[in-house]
Parts: sequence; C-alpha cells; structure tokens
Amino acid sequence: MTLKVDRRTMILDCISAILKRLVGFIGVLCVLSLMIFILARVVPGDPARIALGPNATQTQVDALRASMGLDRPVIEQYALYLWNGLHGSFGKSLISGKSVNGEIAELLPATLELVIVAVLGIIVIAVPLGVITARYRNSWIDTIGRLVSIIGVTMPSFLFAIILQLAVANGLSHWPIIGRVDPALHPPAGPTGLLLVDSLIAARPEVFADAARHILLPALALAMAGIGQITRITRSAMIEHQRRDHVLTLKSFGVPERVIVWPYLLKLSSIAPLTVLGLEFASLIGNAFVVEMVFSWGGFASYGLEAILQKDLNAVMAVVLVSGLVFVTVNIVVDAIVMLIDPRLRLKEVR
Amino acid sequence: MAFDAPAALGSALSPRAMAWYRFSRNRQAWIGAFMVISVIFVALFAPLIAPFPDHAGAVVDFSHRHTPPNLTFPLGTDKVGRDILSRVIFGFRLSLLLVAGVLAIAVPLGAALGLSAAWCGGIIEKCVTGFTNVMLAIPPLVMALAIGNVLEPNLVNAMIAITLVWWTWHARLVYRVAKSVAAEDFIEAARLAGAGHLHILTREILPNCVSVISVKTTLDAAFVILFGATLSFLGLGVKPPTPDLGSMVADARQFLPEQWWEVLGPGLAIVYATLGFNLLGDGLRDMFDVEV
Repeated sequence: MTLKVDRRTMILDCISAILKRLVGFIGVLCVLSLMIFILARVVPGDPARIALGPNATQTQVDALRASMGLDRPVIEQYALYLWNGLHGSFGKSLISGKSVNGEIAELLPATLELVIVAVLGIIVIAVPLGVITARYRNSWIDTIGRLVSIIGVTMPSFLFAIILQLAVANGLSHWPIIGRVDPALHPPAGPTGLLLVDSLIAARPEVFADAARHILLPALALAMAGIGQITRITRSAMIEHQRRDHVLTLKSFGVPERVIVWPYLLKLSSIAPLTVLGLEFASLIGNAFVVEMVFSWGGFASYGLEAILQKDLNAVMAVVLVSGLVFVTVNIVVDAIVMLIDPRLRLKEVR
Repeated sequence: MAFDAPAALGSALSPRAMAWYRFSRNRQAWIGAFMVISVIFVALFAPLIAPFPDHAGAVVDFSHRHTPPNLTFPLGTDKVGRDILSRVIFGFRLSLLLVAGVLAIAVPLGAALGLSAAWCGGIIEKCVTGFTNVMLAIPPLVMALAIGNVLEPNLVNAMIAITLVWWTWHARLVYRVAKSVAAEDFIEAARLAGAGHLHILTREILPNCVSVISVKTTLDAAFVILFGATLSFLGLGVKPPTPDLGSMVADARQFLPEQWWEVLGPGLAIVYATLGFNLLGDGLRDMFDVEV
C-alpha cells in the first residue's frame, strides 16, 4: 500500500465512506420504524378506544378507527405510515388531538439544548480529567478521578439529580432548581428554540444569564454518567498511547512534555472517547427522560414520558423514531470527525 | 504497571494461577466481592434479617410516620410509618430477581446469536449485526419504557422489556470476540482434524469467550439494577405496596427536603449494590485481562 495519497482523492474517499455509512444508517431507521410499528400494533387494547375513553359508543370508535386507517391491513397501514413519515407527518396525538410533529418540533429544542450543554460539560470536564489522571497516575488526583468515574457509573441519574437539587436548595437558596427560565423575563420565542442562542440573537444578556443558571444543574446531572465513562476511557487511551514508539522517540529527543501531550498524544487518544461519546448519545437521550422529570424541564423527553405513560401510540412511535434520528445524525458527525483525525481509517475504507 | 512478581518469574505459574494471583492482590475486587455477597445474602434471608419483615407489605402505622433515623428504625420510616431498612432489604430481593431474570435469558441468547453470527457468517451474520446496530440507535430506557408500558406495567413485563433491549449488547460482544477467535490457527487445525461445527463452537470457541462473558455479566448486573430502578422511578415497575428501591425514591421525593432520609436510604442502597457489582466486575476484568 502506498502512503502517497493526494488531498483530493483523500477528501473524496472520506465523503464516499461517510455516504456509505449514511446509507447504512437509513437502513437502521427503516428497520427501527418497522419494529416500532409492529410493537404499536400488538398492543392489547384498541388505540381508538384508548383515545376516546370508555364512555364512547362503538360507532364513534369505529369512525375514529376508519379515519386513523386502523381498519385496513397492517402492511397497508405501515406503508401509509412510512409514506406520511417521509413527508414529515407522524399523525395526530391520540390524547390531545394535536399534530405530533408540531408538538415535537416545539419541544425538541429544549431537550437538544440540555443534551448539547451536557455533552460540552462532558468534554470540558472529562477529557482534561482523563489527561491529568493519566499523567499523574497513582497520585491523589488519580484517586479523585477514579472516584468521579465510579460515582458517574454507579449512581442512578435520578438520585444524582435529586441530591444536586437538595444540596443547592440548602446551600444556595437563590439558585433556580426547576424550569428553563424565569417566565417573568419574557424570554424571546425563536428562531432556534435554543434559549441560550435565542437570547444572544435578541441581545438579551439578562435572559441568557438566567437560562444559563437554570441549565447548569440539569446538564450536570445528565452529564455525570458520561463524565465517569469518558474520564476512564481518556485515561486508559492516554496511558496506552504513551507507550507507543513514536511517543517514546519524541521523549528521547527531549521534546517538552506539553508539546507531546497536545498534538501527538491527545489527538490519537481522543478517538476512543469520541466514538464512545457518540454511542453514549442514546443513553444521554434516555437519561434526559429522568433528568427532565426531576427538574421540570418540559422538553421532548417529558413529552415522550407522558406519551408512553398514557399509551399515546402515535406520539410514542414518533418519539422513538426521533430519538433514533438524533442518534444516527450524531454518529455520522462523530464518524466524520474520527476519520479526519485518524488517517488509517480513511485509508481502510478504500482498501 | 505495578511490579508483578509472577510475571517477573516468567511462566513459572499456569495462566489460571496467574489470574487468581492478580485477583487476590486486588483490594477493590475483594471489597466488591464482599459487597455483592452481602447483598445476595441479605436478599436471600430477607424475612430473617429485616427488623420488621411485615413492613414489606401494606402495614400502616401512623404513630411512627416520617420518623427520622433512630435506633429502632436505623433508616427512619416512610409516609405510613413503615421501617425503611426492612423495605430496602426486601427491595434488594426484587432488584436481584430482576437481574437474575434478565441475565438468565439475555446472556445465553446473546451469546448463542453472537457465536452463530461469527461462525456461520452469511445471512445470519448480516441479520444479527444489522439488528444489533438498529437496537444501538434507540435509547434503551425509551425502548424498555415503550415495551413495558405497551404491555401492563409489572415486574415480569419490566423483565421482558429489559431483556428485549439487553441481549443485543451480549450478542455484539460475543460476536466480536468469537470472530477474532475463529480466525486463530487452532480453529483451522480442529477443522482439518475433522471436528464438527458443534464441537468447534462449544469446545473450541466458547471456552475462549467465557471470561469476557462473565466480566460483562457481572458489570451488567450493576446496569440492570440501575436500569430497573430508573424504570420504576419513572412509574413502570411493581405495584405498591411491594418494596422497590426506585419507586421508594420516587414516592419519597414529595417529602423533600424535610424527610431527606426517605430518599437517601433506598437511593444509597442502589448505589451500594451497583458499586459492589462494578468493583467485582472491574476486578474480574483485570484478572482475565480482557476488554469489555
């Protein structure tokens, strides 16, 4: 294998590898939708009956069944669902009667904001902690790092969230412990739905500050599990790469440690944590269900939990599919970043 | 790596003795083993150990409601005056039951599918890896909630829901290990010697996966406890008055911050159990020197 690869073919290879993955992920979403659909159709109990309540007459139920397409064969129903889904419509909520898309589009930004801040928190806290604990192995800093990762892995996020709330309510009584923002501030509505971004666009620093104060605790509670894992993985990746020949060579040439750590060690060692972070995205969204409940966040996850507990099947299907979509999108981005970092992966795809 | 006496002695010890040596030197693993054994012991003999065994049921004692921790009630009492320690002890029982139920199905199923995918290749391999990739994309918690609630929320259905999302992780892991083992020379040798598929799968490949499976299973026990507690915290689990650690925390939330012990008791009990399994699992991982 020659290593002489010019930049243009390299970029093309990258793009084709990512496109290949994209196709795979679309397949994932199709199978996922079929699974959810089957699940929703084996439910004991008639969705139309659930929607109308026990007092509705049989004719009313039949009419709703017909309008929902429930009287047709299952294959036809699935085809119809896919067709509508491709056109961006997940049907109406069985409980509220509103369009599921509208409600999700309205609530998703709140959860995305929470998850994005949590991911930033994981990167900002866990990566330096992993680097430092790897550098000062078996010292007191390493013990702290180990403690953090053990708490992150063993403590359920609902308990961590409650303890955070309790501690802050006792220690800092002015700090907000529920909600997204103080409604008295009349926060700007739009254009992105991410309050932290919108308030900056609207040039409202007081809203930004308040939203930032509100998001800190839930984002930390959400990030805790990830912080534990990523610290661990960064640490072991750093230690593993320290023993590599090229790093030893640099060391023996007398290159200062700070030069070695940044471009040589950290770049290589960031591949494993990045991949894990991408895969962890699914459980981040899952944990958002718990964290949003404890902090009354009122986002997409709260909506999903409500839908599941009320057996609002159209909403449940949409929630699972949107979660899958977010996961798939994030992982394509992660794959692209990893390929930019690691030339071996770029070349492997073409070989 | 710390100085390792047997390693320095070369191959004086058999691999098994080496592994045991590594485990016995690992203080964290011993602590973990002790914690796990204590949880299992307490859960097994719950009616004998709990100070108030009948408090696991629908007992009401309003004269003692919301009592802070004291000598009679070491973890305090809840909103109807039941001893929290007794309920936590019975809660362990339920958690371990969930763990046993989920892992007893998910581990063999995942291992069997992972093995056959790695060995047979072709359409089976495509199906298993494809399906596990799909399952990876959905938050397990959301999937389990959706399955569990579509059925009726109770312990058995929670078990079914968790099992359905859990086997894929074992299938992925066993597939990965078995695939690399299958490429080894001794497998080729066995095949040339005329060994059948079943023999190679169960006598040549499977023994090489056992260490990985056992480490993963131990670590998984902790995750299943966490997962089950989270499900019941969100309202999908056993019905009251059966004591369940997650729903105890959920019930006690409304009495915060005054009655903090009602959240902390069951909450820390969950942490105790998951911590034990995690430490033991990490110890086993170092002992077998595998990656999970």
